[in-house]
Amino acid sequence: MKKERGRPDVAAVVRNLGKFAAKAGTGALALTGTLFAISLGSCANYYEVPIEIPVSAKLDVSDYNRVLVASFVTQTTEELDLDAETVRLLRNQLRARSQLRVLEAELAPLGDFSETTLKGSGKLDEFRKLEEEARADGEEEISRQEWIDMEQDKLLADSDYWKNIGEEYQDPLIVSGRLTFSSEARSGFARGDRYVRDAYGRPRLVRSTQFQERTGFILNAEFYFIDGRTGKSIHRERFTEEVIYGHDERTSALSSYLELMDRLLPNFLSILSPQTFRGTRILLK
Amino acid sequence: MRKLEHRLRSRITIVLALALLALACPAFAAQTPEEVAKKAVEFGIEVARIGLWREAVYRWQKAVEIDPSNASACNNLGVAYEQAGQSDLAKEQYKRALELDSNNLYIRQNYELFREAYEKRKRKTGRSRRSP
Repeated sequence: MKKERGRPDVAAVVRNLGKFAAKAGTGALALTGTLFAISLGSCANYYEVPIEIPVSAKLDVSDYNRVLVASFVTQTTEELDLDAETVRLLRNQLRARSQLRVLEAELAPLGDFSETTLKGSGKLDEFRKLEEEARADGEEEISRQEWIDMEQDKLLADSDYWKNIGEEYQDPLIVSGRLTFSSEARSGFARGDRYVRDAYGRPRLVRSTQFQERTGFILNAEFYFIDGRTGKSIHRERFTEEVIYGHDERTSALSSYLELMDRLLPNFLSILSPQTFRGTRILLK
Repeated sequence: MRKLEHRLRSRITIVLALALLALACPAFAAQTPEEVAKKAVEFGIEVARIGLWREAVYRWQKAVEIDPSNASACNNLGVAYEQAGQSDLAKEQYKRALELDSNNLYIRQNYELFREAYEKRKRKTGRSRRSP
């Protein structure tokens, strides 16, 4: 879209034209330039203005004075303490950017469903046993992921557990949920545009398609907001973020997790506290 | 008799001159509703640019009242309502502005940005991708 210039730019045009004309020593050119710029200014029919958009919180938290970020059920393919990192990050953000008092509490991990943990704890054997039983009884088989989801749901929906925590910490709003963080190969052909200079030194755009080795990191986060008085979930919200890195970028799992959380945090915070988003809009004459 | 004729002629000349002046100078001529609305829109921009958004809203509302076909006034009202967090009113005004001037790229751009900001946030699931 071709942009016309607003008045501030026109002033710059006037100055530049004036300087040019003074250098050239041509009064007529200076006059013409000034007149041209003034006429441009009077023709400017739009103004770009910065605006701040207030957005109210999605959840009414006026009944709570405090918030407890409890632990999360997690599942990851990476070497990363997903639960501890998320709890630390959310507590820091809420402390800085919400009206609620953030409780510091050491809670037992809710459950890690990563492959290595499941193997170590013998839970996978439990699943295989259930699988065999179902097969013997002629029941419909479920996938391992479906079984994991069901197990996680049980933990998150355990209102007695959450109510006990609520009583212990004087009925705060409890934040918990489900986190999945994994990496996947995203290699493939990608278009790469680059500028080259021709024999006359003029820039020229060269379009090419080439194979790129890339890795994608995906973060799935489903946040549960639980009423500490009843132990029941009052709000749930799910976010998915993905980042793709080239092979040469060599980004660690932790830093890509932090990048994804950084993108997700404004949306998370907007559930609990009003936010302001900045943008620009165009006013028309 | 000649004197009277002369006086009459000079008076007619003065009246004609004034009438010509009134036609030539817009300050003397009666403004059309479109012109009045345009001036209100321009003044609204002037005050909005120094942060007086409420005053701007008042001017643009007046402009719409006077000239309901003024797409700029509707667009500007959309921006002002968005700034005030009144998203339903903003949507209404942007849509109206687009109905009045569907080819205006600036109005379209504002409306697209508005939709991006509000309607995406309304969705339960947030999803985004980024490539290097």
